[in-house]
Amino acid sequence: MDPPTPSPVSSVPAPLPVKIPRRSDHHRWGDRIFYGLVFAVGLSVIGLALAIVVSLVYSSQQSFRVFGWSFLWGTVWNPTPTDTGPFGVVPFIAGTLVTSAIALFIAIPLALGAAIFLTTHCPRWLRGPAGTAIELLAAVPSVIYGFWGLFIVHPYMASTVEPGLKKYLGFTGLFNGTPIGIDVLTAGLILAVMIVPTICAVSRDTLLAVPQAQKEAALSLGATDWETTRVASIPYARSGIIGGIILGLGRAMGETMAVVMVIGDTDKVPTSLFSQGQTIASLIANELLSNQGPLQISAILEAGLVLLFISLMVNVGARLLVWRVLRGGGGIVE
Amino acid sequence: MSSSQTGTGTPSPSQPEAPVIQRKKGGRGALIAVIAVVIVIILVLVVGYSAGWFKTSTSSTTPSTCTAPSVTPIKGEGSTLVAPLMDYWASVYNGGTQITYDAAGSSAGITAITAKTVDFGASDAPLTPAQRAAAPGVLTIPESAGGVVPIYNLPGDLSLHFNGSVLAQMFDGTITNWNNTPLQTLNPGVTLPSATIVPVHRTGGSGTTFAFTTFMSIENVAWNTSYGKGTAWPSTITVGVGASGNGGEATTVATTSDAIGYVDLNYALNAGAAVGIGAVQNPAGNFIKANITNTESALVDANPMLPSGLGDWFNVSVENAKGAHDYPITTLTYMLVYQNLGAYSSYTITNAENMVDFLHWAVTVGQNDSAPLYYAPLTQSIIAHDYTTFATMTFGTSSIPVCVPS
Amino acid sequence: MMSFDRHARRKLFSHAIAVLSGLAVIAVLYPLVSIVYEAFALGGGVLFQSGFLTSLPPQACSALSCKTVGIGPAIQGTLIVVGMAAGISVPIGVLAAIFASEYRARGVGRVISFTADVLTGVPSIICGAFVYGYFVLYNPTIAYSYYSGSLALSAIMIPIIVRTTEEALRVVPNSTREAALALGISKWKATLRIVLVAAIPGVATGVLLAVMRAAGEAAPLIFTLFGSQFWFNGFNQPGAALPLVIYYYALSGYPNLVKVAWGAVLFLLVLILIVNVVSRLLIHRMRVRMGGV
Repeated sequence: MDPPTPSPVSSVPAPLPVKIPRRSDHHRWGDRIFYGLVFAVGLSVIGLALAIVVSLVYSSQQSFRVFGWSFLWGTVWNPTPTDTGPFGVVPFIAGTLVTSAIALFIAIPLALGAAIFLTTHCPRWLRGPAGTAIELLAAVPSVIYGFWGLFIVHPYMASTVEPGLKKYLGFTGLFNGTPIGIDVLTAGLILAVMIVPTICAVSRDTLLAVPQAQKEAALSLGATDWETTRVASIPYARSGIIGGIILGLGRAMGETMAVVMVIGDTDKVPTSLFSQGQTIASLIANELLSNQGPLQISAILEAGLVLLFISLMVNVGARLLVWRVLRGGGGIVE
Repeated sequence: MSSSQTGTGTPSPSQPEAPVIQRKKGGRGALIAVIAVVIVIILVLVVGYSAGWFKTSTSSTTPSTCTAPSVTPIKGEGSTLVAPLMDYWASVYNGGTQITYDAAGSSAGITAITAKTVDFGASDAPLTPAQRAAAPGVLTIPESAGGVVPIYNLPGDLSLHFNGSVLAQMFDGTITNWNNTPLQTLNPGVTLPSATIVPVHRTGGSGTTFAFTTFMSIENVAWNTSYGKGTAWPSTITVGVGASGNGGEATTVATTSDAIGYVDLNYALNAGAAVGIGAVQNPAGNFIKANITNTESALVDANPMLPSGLGDWFNVSVENAKGAHDYPITTLTYMLVYQNLGAYSSYTITNAENMVDFLHWAVTVGQNDSAPLYYAPLTQSIIAHDYTTFATMTFGTSSIPVCVPS
Repeated sequence: MMSFDRHARRKLFSHAIAVLSGLAVIAVLYPLVSIVYEAFALGGGVLFQSGFLTSLPPQACSALSCKTVGIGPAIQGTLIVVGMAAGISVPIGVLAAIFASEYRARGVGRVISFTADVLTGVPSIICGAFVYGYFVLYNPTIAYSYYSGSLALSAIMIPIIVRTTEEALRVVPNSTREAALALGISKWKATLRIVLVAAIPGVATGVLLAVMRAAGEAAPLIFTLFGSQFWFNGFNQPGAALPLVIYYYALSGYPNLVKVAWGAVLFLLVLILIVNVVSRLLIHRMRVRMGGV
């Protein structure tokens, strides 16, 4: 045979006078069946996504016919025995945004602080266990967080934290109303506890992905640890950290069980941190089965469609940001 | 990348024999671990199967009272007011294997029976005309009655008197503090605290709310004009906290200082010393603290005209009965079932027999369980009326064999 | 003199940040400590009673003599419904991930990958609501059943399994695939017996993650599995589950039921944490043995 040539090799050998059966002939139908199988199953995943959207759109029809686009800026949610509404989704968007904002306000400094600790100041022997412990936080089911929130956090908030806040910070106008511990503040706090592991894990991964050279450059110029982090690591990891924060936001907006037990089930826009409120998720949990009739059900599912849309936008945005830094590998990002 | 190339070139002639490819040990170990886990899961399920986990209730024990060949499952959903009684019935009827009851609120019961996701709905609020139109062929069957009581969380062992008007004003925010004049007038010797009232209402659609708002509509003109009666708490009221279910309401009042709420008597008594139960003024002018006797007598004295099973029950009420010692906020609670059980495509005649047998049992034998759980047993006239309703039930075009109660 | 002060100040500030970040870790971990502590304190006495794990739930009552046993049906129900959901999700998830990863050149593969990623962001309550919606339309008598409950949980599990399996497959070096093909092994055999097996640690992680997540979810089961006080009574009947017990008993208002719920919280918590830790160790060892993938 000729020695191999450097030119590109085609997979089809030169035609021989006799047809030699190729081994691949026997297996081609096996390959074809397998391909067909995985292709069909793969399509079913797209089918699942479509099924969710189609179901919600179909159920929202009645509400859309009655209220049109004004549903999106309606501030009144009024179940009546005649089931005529009006129904508007603004109180729940407000509830979702307020609780998520509180959650981010509390979670971001804590999660970032923890991530910085784990990447720069943590003694090596502690790094593994501490990181694992934080990831165990992510494994706790949300119903347990809600349960803990109702029976442990809420009494403490009602007796100590909220009166204290009202006394010292009442001038800000954020703490009007009677503090009873069941309000958007407590709900936001429980959400914060839930999203800290998400933000921390992503921040830690992105901070670890900062090239050593950057950090060494800063250190060689005489920067302290914190200055190194601030000047070298964080700017590099910034989009990843922001991506992690947005991921946490997406999680907070869709959470149900952590919120439904402590938010107070009130279908109104919250006007203070001590107001009771309702997120879209808790609305569905509370009223999908227990309502005044088909129009209300349709409005609830239309609100669900809005929630789906918002959380998908947020999630997609977050992942694009996180991917950019982590380059599509590294770690299971929840 | 999917590579269909079979090689990047022919091996050079001087190559020794191809190296032996050794399968990495770790891969096999991992595979074994996964297979082990799967085997464990299968073992658990198999053991469970043999331990009878998967045996459904089509067992050999025939029900004590029915001639139906087997026991079929019955699903119910609805009122939290009657939930303690329903749960008890579910645990004793036919050995306690047949009935699943989910207390998600009266409106949930109405929605569920309309959608046919359950075999019976339970609601303290009768169907509105709109709901009747959406669920044609649904019978309304009173199976019990209870008292709705005001509960409050104040320091000290205060025993308070209320009337409907004061309650309406406290719950809609007209009155804001506990030591207000109207309440003080009803409670002359009592020192009321000056704290802000925290009214607790029900979220979602609640039959308890229906009973309570009906009472306030009768007693307070302003309430009647602004809000009326309904299963949904009026959304225009800005004060107050929402709670889910009778249980949630009881817990919220019990854990929130200066709160006032309204729950069924069973839940109020079970909340124990954490809440006080208020006495409510009846039409005769007496302040009545609810118990089994005065809710039962309210039922007897009210003696409402009951429409037929398929009729309009929206205005049926046993509130404000005329007797001197009747509890004014007494309410019937209803089971909602389809008159034609053939409406369920998955039903056989056996399912229908089981359903009718349970209904008969509930309004007869089941009534003996009412008083220990603080519900008022049905009066004989209501039971007789229920019997005539049962007689109209069919399975398709045939009647349902009625099991003989023993 | 001045630059020395400034230098000292900068160092001090850096140390202060270090201390603050340490405090942040403590603050972050405090809820975990609190939850575990309270679960043991309030549920420990209940969990270790005889019959707690194997009996029916008690009647609601508030006397001191109330029984606090009975999450047997909930444990059974959770095992069954999660088992059913896994039986649906694992094959679908793994096969779909194989398509997305091994046949990636086709555009559909990338769409599937993206869709699965997007689906992980769907709130769990929506998964329950949409399954409920379909059943109410087409077969309401089994709207509350193990069938609908397992479908709702599958909607949550499938995206997780697809994503993690895909990641695991992608990490398998191409040389492995090419070596297999060079030996003349057909593509499907190569994929299943060599590539997938090489990716087993990642796949196992993903499956365990999805199963643990499904075991702890209450929101999708509220409208589907519905809850029950009894043992398994048929796949077309409602069933009990641990997260549902926790949710319903929390709101029941009865002290004895709340105690049962604490016992269930402790049980579920310990179960999930143990499985999490053990699976990490196991998979770490698998990875190390397979050559540090």
